[in-house]
Amino acid sequence: MRFTALATASSLALAACAGAAIGQEEGAAPPITEFPRDQTLILQNPEPPATNPPNFNIWVAGNGAGWSTGLHQLVMDTLWFIDPDEGLDGPLYNQLAAETWQYNDDFTEMTVDLREGIYWSDGEEFTAEDVVFTVETQMETPGMTWSAAFSDVVETVEAVDDYTVRFTLQEPNSRFHALFSVRWNGAWIMPEHVFSEVEDVMAFQFNPPVGLGPYTLHSFDPNGYWYAWEKREDWDRTALAEWGEPGPQYVIYRSIPTPDNRLIEMANGNLDVIHDLTPEATFSIIEDRETARGWFPGFPYAHPDPTLPMVIFNTQRAPFDDRRVRWALALMLDARAISMASYRGAATLSAIAMPPTGTHPDDYHAPMQDWLIDYELDLGNGETIQPYDPSIGSQIAEMVRPQFGEDVPTEEAAIQRAFGFGWWRQDLEAAATLLEAAGFTEGRGGWMTPEGEPFEFEVNTFTDGVINRMGTMIAQQWTQAGIEVTPVADPQIFASTLPLGDYDVATAWSIETWGGDPDLSYFLDSWHSDFVVEPGERQPARNWQRWSSPALDGIIEEVRTTEFTDPRNLELGRDFVRLMVDEMPVIPMMAYNVFSVYDTEYWEGFPTAEERPYANIVNNWANSKYIFTQLRPAGQTEGD
Amino acid sequence: MRSYAFFALKRLIQLAVVVFAGTSAAFLVAHFSPISPVETIIGRVSGQSSFSPAAIESLRATLTELFGFDEPLWQQYLNFWSRFIRGDLGPSLIAFPTPAMELVMRALPWTVGLLTVAIVLAWLLGNILGGLAGYYQNSRLLKGFGVIAIGIQPIPYYITAFLMVVLFGYIWPVMPISGGFAMEIRPAWTLDFILTVLWHALLPAASLVLAGIGTWFLGMRALVSNIVTEDYVTYAELAGVRRGTIVGGYVIRNALVPQLTALAMALGGIFSGTIITEQVFSYPGLGTLLIRAVNGGDSGLVLAVSCVAVIAVAAAIFVIDLLHPLLDPRVKVG
Repeated sequence: MRFTALATASSLALAACAGAAIGQEEGAAPPITEFPRDQTLILQNPEPPATNPPNFNIWVAGNGAGWSTGLHQLVMDTLWFIDPDEGLDGPLYNQLAAETWQYNDDFTEMTVDLREGIYWSDGEEFTAEDVVFTVETQMETPGMTWSAAFSDVVETVEAVDDYTVRFTLQEPNSRFHALFSVRWNGAWIMPEHVFSEVEDVMAFQFNPPVGLGPYTLHSFDPNGYWYAWEKREDWDRTALAEWGEPGPQYVIYRSIPTPDNRLIEMANGNLDVIHDLTPEATFSIIEDRETARGWFPGFPYAHPDPTLPMVIFNTQRAPFDDRRVRWALALMLDARAISMASYRGAATLSAIAMPPTGTHPDDYHAPMQDWLIDYELDLGNGETIQPYDPSIGSQIAEMVRPQFGEDVPTEEAAIQRAFGFGWWRQDLEAAATLLEAAGFTEGRGGWMTPEGEPFEFEVNTFTDGVINRMGTMIAQQWTQAGIEVTPVADPQIFASTLPLGDYDVATAWSIETWGGDPDLSYFLDSWHSDFVVEPGERQPARNWQRWSSPALDGIIEEVRTTEFTDPRNLELGRDFVRLMVDEMPVIPMMAYNVFSVYDTEYWEGFPTAEERPYANIVNNWANSKYIFTQLRPAGQTEGD
Repeated sequence: MRSYAFFALKRLIQLAVVVFAGTSAAFLVAHFSPISPVETIIGRVSGQSSFSPAAIESLRATLTELFGFDEPLWQQYLNFWSRFIRGDLGPSLIAFPTPAMELVMRALPWTVGLLTVAIVLAWLLGNILGGLAGYYQNSRLLKGFGVIAIGIQPIPYYITAFLMVVLFGYIWPVMPISGGFAMEIRPAWTLDFILTVLWHALLPAASLVLAGIGTWFLGMRALVSNIVTEDYVTYAELAGVRRGTIVGGYVIRNALVPQLTALAMALGGIFSGTIITEQVFSYPGLGTLLIRAVNGGDSGLVLAVSCVAVIAVAAAIFVIDLLHPLLDPRVKVG
């Protein structure tokens, strides 16, 4: 009896405490009864639970607001979107803009015509004043997310009329529009009529958010684990309406930190889209659940993001300032073993400094195959070799076929898309010749530097996941080739190690592209020698290798004066690829494959690699908003 | 009485010293973290956008000034104490400018609710069963329970928790495996809401009870095993005192003093949160908040959580110290 009383009392204490926690947020969520499953899409948000759940002010840097909680996919909007895949009608979307950017001849002015008839979720019309307010407010308020980005570039911004905005720039800039072009995110437009009434923009919570997207906030977990959004009644007054009515009435984003729980929730029908799993978990759920699938219908399942995991050399440190050493290290690697170790074979390899995803294989990888096959590498002793092996992708496909059978593609084109075209052939003899040409000697204990010291170094890599596995395998292969290499799990690799140049070699990435466009300015402009700092100083993103060359500067400077849509950009991109192969300041490895899994038990119409690659299935991208217009309840035909 | 007041004053001074030293240590540890919140924010803001290197530098300078990192460490330390005395632990740096204590207070009730229930239940069950097992040493049922307790006690908690998720979430999916309450129910003072909170807390609480009960059981059984050989127990038995009275009134009661001390320590430790439970069950609480603060280099938030934990543990020890002489007359206060 006493136990019962105690248990009851304890339970009530628990309820009281939890109630107290929730009570603080009472009123934040509207009353509801249920989310009908056939009207509700549930997705995993890969962000950890929001630190500051009631905050939706996405324009303040570091205020603890969640971004991919649905906020930037469903509520925010801006001028253009560039899809990392093919898009519904091409990768470039004119979203709030009525057409593409218009620059003057010397790129010191950009004029934008805006769509008419677009309304904020509270009924106010979207006009040029909102765009002007967005830019001016952030320029006036240091600490806001895009304040520095605008302040460094914009001279003035004015509303020519209700639907036309003109930017005057401090210096010629042919890529200013990129700030308003979404690749994952972009500079979102602020509602002038809301923020102009706010005294302290930095402290403003913006709860509930007022947006230009087709959904509004329904409710959220005061602990930040989930956010529920409801379709606007006037969804047809948003820019997304051009592509149809979004299917789900409700959309819920859930933060589920552990992969096991994600898998279980999908198996129980409580999750329609998983942002990312481990390769092994992906294989498991696809095998066990008939309605679950990945981006590819079979192996390797994962979506290749336009990010390029690679080996990064600190080219300001000897001997990694010597291209012969960098090439020697590349030739010591066996890409097949690295693919198997990191992704269990589910990697999409790239021998060139370009992620093999989106439109890049058509723009770069396929057209450059002949050049790569014919490429001759000078070993420094008068000999040359042709290091490229176009069959590496096919070899990996054969390696995994015994386990995955019919799930592994058989056609060459499909194999190239899934596993990559080819990679550098492991050639220890050629690597030795290159090292000897660079003054290294091989002794009993392994390779010695020109100074007579053992050649040894560390490889900084991620603390876990596929990049960690990749770094560990690479270190192992170099060690097997006679160099003492130690992998180091580095939790601060992007925050301090790479920026401070506090490393010899790292596995991470310094190349991210639009994916859906051959233009390389997204990452390449920051590689100009103007931004390369002295050793010991903090290197601005993204030239972590601290590499520069007059040829590279020439390419970047020409890109700067070439209009974004000019076909010349593709030629410049290929020049960049050729220069990178010659110099090898980084060893490109593979696309960043994301093991997104979706389930068609409740919803159909998701993008697929083989039939409709109209959007990136990786759902924390703001670009994933277009997917909602294509979804329909399972079993319902197009006309229903 | 005077000597007790003097004893209490000494303990109070000790409490103040412990809080000062613990908080100062927390300040230094938090500020010597290699993780910079400025870089964390820059990484998030610029990592997925087309930011120029010059813009990133401008943002870095702004955030450094905003967070007060441009001041020397001793100045930051003095600023901290001047705020601390006024009850203000400053802003969180990864939820700027929200006060760090606001975030702590949002998470705290979940942790306190879950852990208080779990610790008290495990303590009660473990001690009572352990006490009975120590006294009724020939009982097969209690012997069996002892074997189970010895079997469970060494299993790492994360294994126990994970097994419960798999068992009740996947193999026999009858219980929620994530969250503090059902999405369909509005947070409010309603029976529905209280029931959904209890339902969602059941699995994490059960895992904690299961993991904790063995230690209490074994400890109590050992204590009681010694006490039953004492003369006064034998005398009570010979005098025909009821067995229930002997077990409850003489044996378990006398063995409880060290267990009470341990309970107070365990309850004080609640304020550090339970990181594994929160991770495995996606349950809200201080542990998750602390992880986020550490990973984001948020010295303000780490300090706020640490201060709460330091004060809670020190206060628990203080209270136990004050209670000990009252509970056990053998303890000297002079």
